[in-house]
Amino acid sequence: MNNNKPKIGIYELTGCAGDALLILDCENELLDIFQAADIQSFLMAKSDNIDGDLDVALVEGSVTTEREIEELKDIRNRAKIVVAIGLCATVGGLQGRFTDSEEWGENLKKVYGDVEMTHTKAVQSKPIDAYINVDFYLPGCPIGKEQFLNFFTRLVGGSPPEKYPHPVCVSCKYNENDCLLNRGLPCLGPLTADGCGSVCINHNLPCVGCWGPVEGANLTSAFYLLKDKGFDVEYIKKVMANYSGTKITTFFDQLKKEKQ
Amino acid sequence: MKIVKLKKENLFPFLEVISKDADLWAPVKKNSDRHVFKMIDDLTHINLDYTRTILPPRNIILPPEIRMFRATPLEYEPNFSHVAKRILFGVHPCDIHGLLIMDKFYSFMYDDPYYIESRKNTIILGHSCWPDENCLCKSTNTHIVEEGYDLFFTDLKKNYLVWIGSSRGDDLIRMKPDLFEEEIANEDIQSFIRRREEKDKAFQTEINFTAMPDLMELKYNDPLWDELGTACLACGSCSNVCPTCNCYNVEDKPVLGENCSDISRCWDACTLENYSGVAGGENFREKRSERLKLWYTHKLQAYISKYGKPACVGCGRCVVTCPVDINVLTVGKALDGNGIDSFWSRLSKEVTR
Ligand code: SF4
Ligand code: SF4
Ligand code: SF4
Ligand code: SF4
Repeated sequence: MNNNKPKIGIYELTGCAGDALLILDCENELLDIFQAADIQSFLMAKSDNIDGDLDVALVEGSVTTEREIEELKDIRNRAKIVVAIGLCATVGGLQGRFTDSEEWGENLKKVYGDVEMTHTKAVQSKPIDAYINVDFYLPGCPIGKEQFLNFFTRLVGGSPPEKYPHPVCVSCKYNENDCLLNRGLPCLGPLTADGCGSVCINHNLPCVGCWGPVEGANLTSAFYLLKDKGFDVEYIKKVMANYSGTKITTFFDQLKKEKQ
Repeated sequence: MKIVKLKKENLFPFLEVISKDADLWAPVKKNSDRHVFKMIDDLTHINLDYTRTILPPRNIILPPEIRMFRATPLEYEPNFSHVAKRILFGVHPCDIHGLLIMDKFYSFMYDDPYYIESRKNTIILGHSCWPDENCLCKSTNTHIVEEGYDLFFTDLKKNYLVWIGSSRGDDLIRMKPDLFEEEIANEDIQSFIRRREEKDKAFQTEINFTAMPDLMELKYNDPLWDELGTACLACGSCSNVCPTCNCYNVEDKPVLGENCSDISRCWDACTLENYSGVAGGENFREKRSERLKLWYTHKLQAYISKYGKPACVGCGRCVVTCPVDINVLTVGKALDGNGIDSFWSRLSKEVTR
């Protein structure tokens, strides 16, 4: 059936399933979504799922077990285009929050003790591009409706999706907000990929970075700017690490080196 | 040009009458100490006690994002839904100059219908102001206006002196002529002169703009640009708040379920990472320092060389907006060889230490 429509699979690894849910939540567009594509696999939406060749795989969630590594590699083998959707798949998610592997091992022990896991083995949480090539990224926690629909429509129409390589500050100014950094609040807007429409700042709350780091983010300057404003170094690191997953590792390593 | 007098208590009755068949926009308070232009449904919300709005009034004429047209396989349907009959009240001289500069940009080689249609439908009612420590308009010579408004209100405490700058402005007065007085008392003239003298003395900052084109040229490879590039967050805010930035990006947005595409247009900023990105993934200005050079070439050099005045109207918005203190004031001073205290100069000491 539907032979000339692009075959699409939507997959969930470790995450809250919020991105899959958001796709289902596009209620007014849902019929069009299912009409425009041949949705082969979408666990949250249907039961007759087929694991065959795909034009596009949308993958949500980070990789946290050995079984997921296998599953992900299998998806990559079957799909022409792989898209990471949501914060967990793009940067590793909250569960991928920067920790070195030693600390991670200790934490695992603290939580699970000496329990032997038989069905699979846990690995440190990583974004999917730690294991496979990713063609496109659609960040967000969860992804945004408008961004998703734009992205999806281009994809099923056969044109490459637009990237959104600008920071939250752009929307923030479109919405005519006074800059919170200048009011002494630790806003991560300049470091964070836009897509939320600066919703937090519109309500006078600083950006916490839930869309993940934007391409070209100037981490060094932002770090010293917050320090210059009197914030404690450990606090700044915590704030910056929250939603940056493993994508901030290099920066933290560099900071460590600078200190020595 | 003609000048009439309006008692303060007659301002609202006048605005009431003229806004019957146009949207009235005026400054209102935002947060505790900033202002924005908003569409007014209750005249008491207007707050004229402001220095600069967060965004310049160009955002009302050409909003950040508009849909230009819908393209189908056979035709295209233009969309001008951003155009409305508007009266902009309370516009300060720097912003009027900003609009005059926008007029030049958007009709330079080709008329830009999306700007011009909207601009033609907008009546500008200017208002006098008082400088704060970040106003640079005396240095840019944009603290007074001779054109670009339909009416201009100068606040003389109890009265306004109202300049009539166009026949459209004259028509507005004629809608309620009995509110205005033709006779201007000697006392009013004296207080106008006094106000002007005091305002001239109230400026606290200045830059020597005439020197800038040469300095930009001579210091094109100065390490200053790397210092600035190290600090710049590439957030684009400086462009978005500047009354003379005019860059935009055009994007194709295919419509799901239909065989057509919406062509949308949104503001762009040359300080953003992907501004000079082109097909094939190349980027002509990958470095932040190079992008800042473009920004300052535009403000301090290119326009001066062509029109004899800077493309900066001295509104001070970049000064109060850039989180890392990169703005015409600090950059202008640094180009001029002056030491300044700013985050970017502190940072360059910190990271090269
Ligand atoms: S408030 Fe935050 S998002 Fe807005 S301009 Fe300032 S730093 Fe950027
Ligand atoms: S090139 Fe840069 S400075 Fe010039 S108008 Fe565009 S955004 Fe503004
Ligand atoms: S460069 Fe700065 S001061 Fe000059 S017009 Fe633009 S925002 Fe205003
Ligand atoms: S100069 Fe300032 S406002 Fe402009 S992009 Fe850089 S950090 Fe943002």
